[in-house]
Amino acid sequence: MKLFDCPVIGKRPISEFDYCGEVRRPPLDADETAWADFVFNRNGAPQVLREWWYHRPTGRWYIMERDTLKDEVQRFIDPQEVRYDIPA
Amino acid sequence: MPWRLLKYGLKKTHDEPRFFPAAKPLKSGYDVVIIGGGGHGMACAYYLAKEHGITNVAVLEQGYIGGGNTGRNTTIVRSNYLTPEGVRFYDTSLKLFEDLSDDFDLNIFYSTRGHFTLAHTDSALRTMRWRAEVNKRHGIDSEVVDREFIAREVPYMDLDCAGHSAVQGALYHAPGAVARHDAVAWGYARGAYNRGVEIHQKTRVTEIRTQGDQVVGVQTDRGFISCNRVISMVAGSTPRITEMVGLRTPIEIFPLQACVSEPVKPFMDTIVVSGSLHVYVSQSSRGEMVMGASVDPSVLHSTRSSFDFVEGLTDKMLDLFPFMSRMKVMRQWAGMSDITPDFAPIMGKTPIKGFYLDGGWGTWGFKATPVSGKTMAWTIAHDKTHELIEPFRLSRFADFDLVGEKGAASVGH
Amino acid sequence: MTSRLDPQPLEWLDRNETYRFTFEGQAYTGFRGDSVTSALLACGQTLLGRSFKYHRPRGALTLANHDVNALMQSADATNIRADVTPLQAGLDLRACNVNGTLVNDRDRFIERLSAFLPVGFYYKTFHKPKRFFPFWERKIREKAGLGSIDTRWTARRQAKSYGFCDLLVIGAGASGMQAALTAADAGLDVVLVDENPRIGGSLDYQLANDADAAPVRERLKTGVEGHANIRVLPSHYAAGWYTDHYVPLSGPTGIIKMRAGAVISATGVMEQPSVFRFNDLPGVMMASGAQRLIARHAIRPGKRAVVLSANGEGYRAALDLLQAGIDVAAVVDLEQGAERGHWASQLAAARIPVIEGHAIYEAQGKGRLERVIVAPFDGHRCNPATAREIPCDLLLMSVGWAPASQLLYQAGARLAYDDTLQQLLPQQLPAGIFACGRLNGAFSLEQRLADGQRAAKDACAHLRGESLQPDLAACRDTRAHSHPWPIIEHPRGKNFIDFDEDLQLKDLVNAAKEGFDNIELIKRFSTIGMGPSQGKHSNMNGIRVLASVIGRSIDETGSTTARPMFHPVPVSDLAGRRFRPERLSALHDRHLGLGAQMMEAGAWLRPEYYGMPDQREPSILREVQAVRTALGLIDVSTLGKIEVMGPDAAKLLDGSYTMRMSTIRTGMTRYALMVDDSGVIVDDGIVGRVAEDRFYVTATTSHSEATYRTLSRHIVEWGLDVRLVNRTGVLAAMNLAGPHARQLLAPLTDIDLAEDAFPYLGMREGQLCGIPVRLIRVGFVGELGYEIHLPVDAAATLWDRLMSAGAEFGIRPFGVEAQRVLRLEKGHIIVGQDTDGLTNPFEAAMAWAVPLKSKPYFVGRPSLALLKARCSRKLIGFRLPKGYSGERPKECHLIIENGEMAGRITSIAYSPSLGQLIGLAMVDLPLAEASLSLSVCVDSGDLIQIEPCALPFYDAEGKRQTADLTEVA
Repeated sequence: MKLFDCPVIGKRPISEFDYCGEVRRPPLDADETAWADFVFNRNGAPQVLREWWYHRPTGRWYIMERDTLKDEVQRFIDPQEVRYDIPA
Repeated sequence: MPWRLLKYGLKKTHDEPRFFPAAKPLKSGYDVVIIGGGGHGMACAYYLAKEHGITNVAVLEQGYIGGGNTGRNTTIVRSNYLTPEGVRFYDTSLKLFEDLSDDFDLNIFYSTRGHFTLAHTDSALRTMRWRAEVNKRHGIDSEVVDREFIAREVPYMDLDCAGHSAVQGALYHAPGAVARHDAVAWGYARGAYNRGVEIHQKTRVTEIRTQGDQVVGVQTDRGFISCNRVISMVAGSTPRITEMVGLRTPIEIFPLQACVSEPVKPFMDTIVVSGSLHVYVSQSSRGEMVMGASVDPSVLHSTRSSFDFVEGLTDKMLDLFPFMSRMKVMRQWAGMSDITPDFAPIMGKTPIKGFYLDGGWGTWGFKATPVSGKTMAWTIAHDKTHELIEPFRLSRFADFDLVGEKGAASVGH
Repeated sequence: MTSRLDPQPLEWLDRNETYRFTFEGQAYTGFRGDSVTSALLACGQTLLGRSFKYHRPRGALTLANHDVNALMQSADATNIRADVTPLQAGLDLRACNVNGTLVNDRDRFIERLSAFLPVGFYYKTFHKPKRFFPFWERKIREKAGLGSIDTRWTARRQAKSYGFCDLLVIGAGASGMQAALTAADAGLDVVLVDENPRIGGSLDYQLANDADAAPVRERLKTGVEGHANIRVLPSHYAAGWYTDHYVPLSGPTGIIKMRAGAVISATGVMEQPSVFRFNDLPGVMMASGAQRLIARHAIRPGKRAVVLSANGEGYRAALDLLQAGIDVAAVVDLEQGAERGHWASQLAAARIPVIEGHAIYEAQGKGRLERVIVAPFDGHRCNPATAREIPCDLLLMSVGWAPASQLLYQAGARLAYDDTLQQLLPQQLPAGIFACGRLNGAFSLEQRLADGQRAAKDACAHLRGESLQPDLAACRDTRAHSHPWPIIEHPRGKNFIDFDEDLQLKDLVNAAKEGFDNIELIKRFSTIGMGPSQGKHSNMNGIRVLASVIGRSIDETGSTTARPMFHPVPVSDLAGRRFRPERLSALHDRHLGLGAQMMEAGAWLRPEYYGMPDQREPSILREVQAVRTALGLIDVSTLGKIEVMGPDAAKLLDGSYTMRMSTIRTGMTRYALMVDDSGVIVDDGIVGRVAEDRFYVTATTSHSEATYRTLSRHIVEWGLDVRLVNRTGVLAAMNLAGPHARQLLAPLTDIDLAEDAFPYLGMREGQLCGIPVRLIRVGFVGELGYEIHLPVDAAATLWDRLMSAGAEFGIRPFGVEAQRVLRLEKGHIIVGQDTDGLTNPFEAAMAWAVPLKSKPYFVGRPSLALLKARCSRKLIGFRLPKGYSGERPKECHLIIENGEMAGRITSIAYSPSLGQLIGLAMVDLPLAEASLSLSVCVDSGDLIQIEPCALPFYDAEGKRQTADLTEVA
């Protein structure tokens, strides 16, 4: 079983995580086409993806850059790198 | 004994004709290039040649014929879908399947078994009724049955599931069937080859060339082919192909795993699926129990197997079939599934002229093999999306007009 | 008749313990330490099974867990591999896959039809006419499969365990033991695993009588067994290699899931048969198989032997036969003048004839081997013209090896054919995977020890994080131990390539000629390698044949993927212990005491209703009436309960839910609807404001974990200063509802319950019966109601107090079913029942919960802005006439308009308050808003009429939720 060597919690098996897809940012001023693209379309080809992984036992989120062809984590991302503001 | 066997026995030599062509060079151009030599691609080639007289066709396959999900699925054919468009489409497929052996003069072992989708909760039972009602409306033999009925048909199943999540009823689909998956691809391939289609195995597409928004050719690892009509009929590689023409789709790739037991004497004639336990099983004509579950939880472009899969599957399977604890798992494998947000395929024309798409087949591509080939061949021949597949058009996502199959989301092989 | 030898130096037998058992109804005895096969052979029983297709007689072949033609079954097990199954007292075994008895198998006739059953025949017949196929399929299925099962067998579940080590060495032969020792000496924590009950590998059978091996054996065995850093696990096999060196080890007491830092595969080689006519007769076996029988079980496998050899190992086997008192009529060497080493010299000294440049053209005998036909062989084909006959009852095949490379392939290794060794060898290994020994081409004992050392050093370096360029070829032999073409054509066939599947040489040749000339295609068409041994003794010859037909090299021809399992693994062991977590509310015992019928709600058990199953309907009605006219109490502890705290708490909830939460006044609550990016409803609940920077959120039972997860992710991606606490498990909750609710609570609490002090949708904290509680005025069931949230450990106390104090008001506990009726009367939806996987709030008639104008953003807002104008269906209320007595529509019955589907019923129930059937239906637009009457197709196929009506059905002004009994009575 795959292991993720996470910051803070160390090596944990993948079964303890929920996979929550690619890290994406909603285009807030998008037109209809761009919005539908955000909602439905995905970067499905093999590549390095930034992904959300939720560690159930600790309730902690990890953002990893993972090669979806080789199934290798290349690095962990500081959440600051993915944050965006939402209109109040 | 069928007399053809007599012929084999009495002849001194084995002079059967080839199913598929020996490897030969690519031509510089074709009328149609089909990317993907699985069931769908071969079926499309077959119907292009047979029904539309288009034979200057090349099927390009990066591995071997039927080596993708055609050879990795658990061979179930059914048409008890939830939406009218789904029911119509898959029922057309099922009816084509019934005549394929005759059509090919090749026995694909199409075997009607009866298909149970078990409901373990009242909400699952509601969904079963929904599907049954839609099916009946469309003349599909499909009904909600109670525990007594199931106990009669599958007497060795533990309906109480060892005391947790007992079976409350099921959707029973009498026409549910299995077939020899490889033979389906071979039959289509042979039929296409005999009609003049070229089949090129070990030929990988590396680029699709366009001029403006028109497809003009395909670059392969064996050379360039000029061509105005290209169709992608791959599984697990659809995003890689669509990326070549700059087309964005919702498809993501998740592995789907399966396993077989050691062969035992056949005892199980039906197909049993449990949405709540996420398992399904049938017994092959070799005597192996063919078992599967839902797709893996994360995106991966790999056919590696995982141990958690086989642990989880067997654990759940024993709730239904306790005696299977004394059987053995012989082999496990995985395929890569194109998953779409509404659990429906993406078919038809695309914004790129001359580029056609047949993808997003998730975990249900095998049962659609004949109808996909037939409707896509029509679509290519007429350059117009066939009406049966209109609901599966790529533009439905831009229009927020998804197919309602997701309404009954559950494992559904 | 016994074939038992005098005690052998390394034998596994305990001759003091005799076991009785039966096979095919006949009594036998054997010793502790026998396998079933060895015990039967000791008693002279050489016929052990029948082949899969032709039901030909078969005997012992490998004794290495590959003898799939010697499968047996008993009353409580099937497909028992006799070659490796330890003999036990009282076993009662029968052969698998025989029709009648093993000796008189009525299906033997199939062999006579073999000429009519060419490769893939079943693809070409039986399908015309179509109507006869079911008949033929039934016939085929009758012949399919191996052992029988008994569907009355009960479930066996064998607990699994976890293991961890620095280095896992698989295979405890010479190189594996050496690797383990070297690594352990370097300080690594090593696990050494071997599928046999004793370690030693081929040292103990192939080299059992080799004097040079004795001191090495002694050193290695004592070394690994006494080493503090080595755990030795005999009787376990590595079922497969999985990502990150996760290797399940399957053994007699279950599976150990081993997590290793690195893996050394020292799995050795599997002996391959020579392909010639009748190479399957009992009496024909692998040389290594005979050596195992002699060394481990002291069995004399025959009286007069011929050894077919293409390597030094065959000569070693011949020496072993001599030592066991078996006549060796001749050694037949496939090659002329080949250098076979010191064993050949020893054999020459024993004056055993060696017939060089010859092959076995044919084996003959009735039911078992009686003689072999030996003919000159030029490396490609035999010349039978000058054949000679040698009588014998034993033929050993020692013509080559295939690497046990399954785990390497699973790990992603690349193997390449080595022309020197005529064997596939590892060419490129993935990180952390190492290989040594014969698997890696190291054949002499010196080479194997050196290679084990090398692999261990490489593994140590890898674990230290050093980058390395392993020299895989450092210790490889320079001489072939396999013949490139041990395959002999015969005009009359029956030269088997695959014993599992009864495939003959011509089957493969013909399959390739029919276009199945790709290794994977030929496998699928001919079924080579698909039987229970998974090609362990057929794949290599299959590749050789295909390569020859297509005129390509072995590497160009390729090999099929080796998938787990290495050997089949019992389902009982894979499944392990059954674990079905069930969540019980703190009030579970109270519900049972009150006669509740429990139902599953996700992981929870909840009361469906209280009463006997035959009183289901009246019980539910009574519960509904109690709530409407007096007082009801329902356990809602399963709701998700989340505390949201911090300066950005309001911002988080504003962004996460459709409605604005930042404007809730402290002490008030608001309905909370959550949609996803595409605008589909995923959850609902309430949000209550505890303080300026603190909220309390509830979520539906099944979605509570996901809601917590979603909120916590928004905190990260929106960079908010908020903390969440999921209190679902530590807080219980119950809803006290009914016109007497306030009257009951008032004397028990310090909270001011007056309508203006604690209005509808208010939330207060205080004491109730001395217990700290949070009270929320809710309206889900449409009566004056207080949802009481409190610590779980006080829940039962409070429940009892309310039930006893409520007695005078006629309080009743009510279950999920009554609540469904009550909420339906109020027109409240249940997410997941009245909505499906694509329903948006406009379709659910909840436009009021989507403030597009006043909120610039929330998750899903842009989608809902688009969807507002293009809904194609809508949820509506409907009713049937009072007194309707016809067939009752059910949930998911379809609305039919002009013969077409136009929607479905999502909820329906008899409303005791209204005295009629009411329900919700999702109906296509514009029909949903335009029609005065709709048709529903019920079970009988009849269409019945339902009448759309406004929601809610009951108490449209909502007076009852806010008023005292005195005001509404």
